[in-house]
Amino acid sequence: MSNPQFVPRKQELQLKSENTSLFLKIIIGIAVFIFAITLSGVLAVDSMITNWNKSILGSVTVQIIPPSDLNWEKSSAAALAMEEKAVEFLRSVNGIIKVTPLSDEQLAELLNPWLGDDVDISKLPAPRIIDIKIDTHANIDFDQLSKDLATVAPNASLDNHKLWLNKLIAFADGLKMIATTILFLVSAITSGAIFYTTNMSLGLQHSVIEILHIIGAKDTYIAQQYAKHMGIIGFIGGIIGILFAIPAIFFIGSLASAIEGGIISETSLKIIDWLFILALPLFSCLIAMVTTYYTVKQTLKKML
Amino acid sequence: MLKSKENIIEMNNVGIRYDQGPEILSNIKLSLPKGSFHFLTGQSGAGKTSLLSLMYLAQKPSRGTISIFGQNIDFAQRSQLASFRRRIGVVFQDFRLLEHLSAYDNVALPLRVCDMDEREIKKRVTEFLTWVELDHHMYDKASTLSGGEKQRVAIARAVINRPDILLADEPTGNVDNIIAGKLMKLFVELNKLGTTVVIATHSEKIIRDFRYPRLHLQNRGLHVYYPADTSFLGDINV
Repeated sequence: MSNPQFVPRKQELQLKSENTSLFLKIIIGIAVFIFAITLSGVLAVDSMITNWNKSILGSVTVQIIPPSDLNWEKSSAAALAMEEKAVEFLRSVNGIIKVTPLSDEQLAELLNPWLGDDVDISKLPAPRIIDIKIDTHANIDFDQLSKDLATVAPNASLDNHKLWLNKLIAFADGLKMIATTILFLVSAITSGAIFYTTNMSLGLQHSVIEILHIIGAKDTYIAQQYAKHMGIIGFIGGIIGILFAIPAIFFIGSLASAIEGGIISETSLKIIDWLFILALPLFSCLIAMVTTYYTVKQTLKKML
Repeated sequence: MLKSKENIIEMNNVGIRYDQGPEILSNIKLSLPKGSFHFLTGQSGAGKTSLLSLMYLAQKPSRGTISIFGQNIDFAQRSQLASFRRRIGVVFQDFRLLEHLSAYDNVALPLRVCDMDEREIKKRVTEFLTWVELDHHMYDKASTLSGGEKQRVAIARAVINRPDILLADEPTGNVDNIIAGKLMKLFVELNKLGTTVVIATHSEKIIRDFRYPRLHLQNRGLHVYYPADTSFLGDINV
């Protein structure tokens, strides 16, 4: 080939021909796949907690257990009487916006999943339930309110849902911590694979690097060629991982939404979450570039 | 910048050994003034290539000190070494071209590592490859060139940056007498323009035809002969 109009510049380091490229693309693809699934899990748990918080914010429940030492008619009547007193008291408390005692029909509807259609709830010692809406900005002392309520209606107990929510949040936090550890480990393993592959490549390219040094190339010149090459591998590996991860996330989501009870089904990834996940190839590209750049710089320092 | 009478390379009590072996060069003392021209001679295995490699900063001595462009390399920063190397042109005995690159890209290398504009690179590379009569092989891969053609590409690469020092290891070893003469004239021209030149050679004819001082390696030491007086002059102090 003589005197063509345009000949693309070839890179001095023959990195594309190294057979470690495919290995790294697969490793990075797997890492990004795990990363995407775990990240979507973390984001979904976050969304779940937010939904739970929203749903119970400003909501308190009072439960009145019918006295057990009476027959059911007297017991029901006592429970109803305590309910009336409790409602009257609660309506007088500052910061409480709405007090709604649940009717027998509403109670029956709540218990229906456990007892079925054939049971007459009025014949059962079912507790009375009062639903309370409070001003979210009001500073209510729930311990004091609970004590005051007990003087009016001794069998009444107050539940502001904090206890079970805190347990769920602690569980979710545990999941998030495990997920974060996985993300860290996946990043570390990927960086390690890039580190060793780069070092191996530096060995293979030693004679070319020596010539580049002798003609005056600075370490950054060589490191940039490596970083560019590894950045492309990181991006392609990331795209491969994401292509497998997206259907997997939808599949896991469909399994979660099939669970009855309305807890897990409340989880959904927002657009910003999807943007995070779809940006993972850029992240893997960045990790590959930075790891490679500093690996090359550190290794070349040992050469003259 | 160095003043004209300053030494461009200085070596003091320099020794080289590989691994735990014996020293192949011992107590080398050398001062090369800016703008000088020297032949480097010695039998095969005398250490010519090793001495040259010290000069182009490819290795450090096992002992002693080397100063280049007035700077002791032991105290030079890493980036400074790269800057020094850009001012040194090297022609290797085995060419050391990047075989997968074209003649053009090989010659362009010293300019590219300096981030020179590609248009300026094209102008200069074309000029130099035409000068070494390889313009018709400009875009041929180095691996497809003959030994003599590779030699000329290596020379073009070494001088394209207009170096302050030109170090050549057997530069005429793979070319015929006519091209060898032309190459030597190039080196002389470069020397007249201020480039300090050291040429390792076995060719007595070249040494005879171009009457420059001769650095001779013998018994692990360095000795100097001047063309007018070929008697042994003891340890070098050029």
